[in-house]
Amino acid sequence: MALPLPSGLAPAEVAFLCEMELVTVVPRQQLKSHELLGGPTPALRPPHRAPLPLWLALLLKRQRRANILPPPWLLPQSLEKILKYETDTPSVFSPPPPHPYPIGALPADTDHISPPFLSSSTADAPAGYLPYHWLELGEILLEACSDDIPEADKVRTLLRDLREVRISKIREVTKVLEGGGVVSLKGVGAMEVAEGRQFTVGVMDGLRKLGASRETERRRRQEDGESGGGRSDDDEMEMEME
Amino acid sequence: MDISDILQDLNRDPFDENYDSGHRQPSGQADLQALTRAWVNERGTIDLLRWPKDGLIERATERVKAQIEKVEELTGDMDPKTNFSLIIIQTEVERWKFLLRSYLRARIAKIDKHTLYYLSTPELQERLSETEIAYATRHQQLLHQHYLSSFLGSFPQNLQNLNDTAGGISMIGGPDEEAGVFARGLGSKEIGEEGGVYVKSRGRDADGEVEVERGEIVVARWSDIKEQVERGEMELV
Repeated sequence: MALPLPSGLAPAEVAFLCEMELVTVVPRQQLKSHELLGGPTPALRPPHRAPLPLWLALLLKRQRRANILPPPWLLPQSLEKILKYETDTPSVFSPPPPHPYPIGALPADTDHISPPFLSSSTADAPAGYLPYHWLELGEILLEACSDDIPEADKVRTLLRDLREVRISKIREVTKVLEGGGVVSLKGVGAMEVAEGRQFTVGVMDGLRKLGASRETERRRRQEDGESGGGRSDDDEMEMEME
Repeated sequence: MDISDILQDLNRDPFDENYDSGHRQPSGQADLQALTRAWVNERGTIDLLRWPKDGLIERATERVKAQIEKVEELTGDMDPKTNFSLIIIQTEVERWKFLLRSYLRARIAKIDKHTLYYLSTPELQERLSETEIAYATRHQQLLHQHYLSSFLGSFPQNLQNLNDTAGGISMIGGPDEEAGVFARGLGSKEIGEEGGVYVKSRGRDADGEVEVERGEIVVARWSDIKEQVERGEMELV
């Protein structure tokens, strides 16, 4: 009954999450709108483009009912640009795409929205940025519809290169971890988090346990320094003990 | 509906768990997003999170049930054209079912691991749903009876407790609140803020406060960002 998996999403679960990303399809057949639990799907009329969640787009693609338009960031030119950035700037990931819904004066439903619901992989998404689900999405599209992606082999090589450059950056993060604090991983991808989680969290927890006495000692000293109150409390404690 | 209702409606946030669903039912899309976030959050930490108070899980279960009935109706008039529609609808239902099941199972795993801890104080009990409390209580009862009959019964009376706090150390172990987690900043809930969330960052050599931008992913101690996650200003990834 109980879930036997350790905490943190497993790679298969990350892929499941990625399948909720919206992609743009070009239908080859008509299909009426469906009332799904997550809202109605748009009616498909060739050759009009329509946004669909990836799982549904894959279903249509497998039955040759539609083609999937690759997101602009997945084109060789865009990937080359990102790869150059990744190799030229050590220890920083390339920036994530800007949030598609800027915060306005009035609170909106879209203010706190996050991937996979950001439509960062539709045909209208900006080029030159790797979205959160870049690796999974790239791999899934290359496998399911390499005929829809221009220069698919080149894209495949570029994705592999990107992965290698970035994986070394994740490992580098462990150098900054000192068992606490907030360490930024801006621009990291979902699959990279899933892969590095056990190691990173393991290092962090281990270091924290090793440094625990030093941390409490420092905190106690700081409290003493800020006010003399800490000291007298201790004295009172001792008095009571006697 | 008077003016205060309208104002309240304007300030409403689809992900806010404290919001009571008196007015209208959130859309399927909003529920899907909320359910996905609840699932990822629950899978992201070893601590048990609060059961959504706005009836999200109950609503999602209802939706799935209704959709399955619809599928059964459609199966009646089988013709090749509706066949594909059926596949689409069924695939989506299966995806929702997976989310719900994985969410509930992740919670049961946490309850199983620290049953006594989550039952120990009213504040902690509040995080559980009614069925989960019933489950946890029964689970603990069975376990206790088993312990009593297999070995506890032959111990002296004063050593039979399972929740002893003698010597200042409680026998009841809870999850490690300081464990490291990966989290994403979602933006401050303060109106007029640019979206950065401030979190305290306690380290070995220094304590401080760090701003987490909207969409930025950080590694932090669970206890440092717990509040922000509960308020919906951050989410676990």
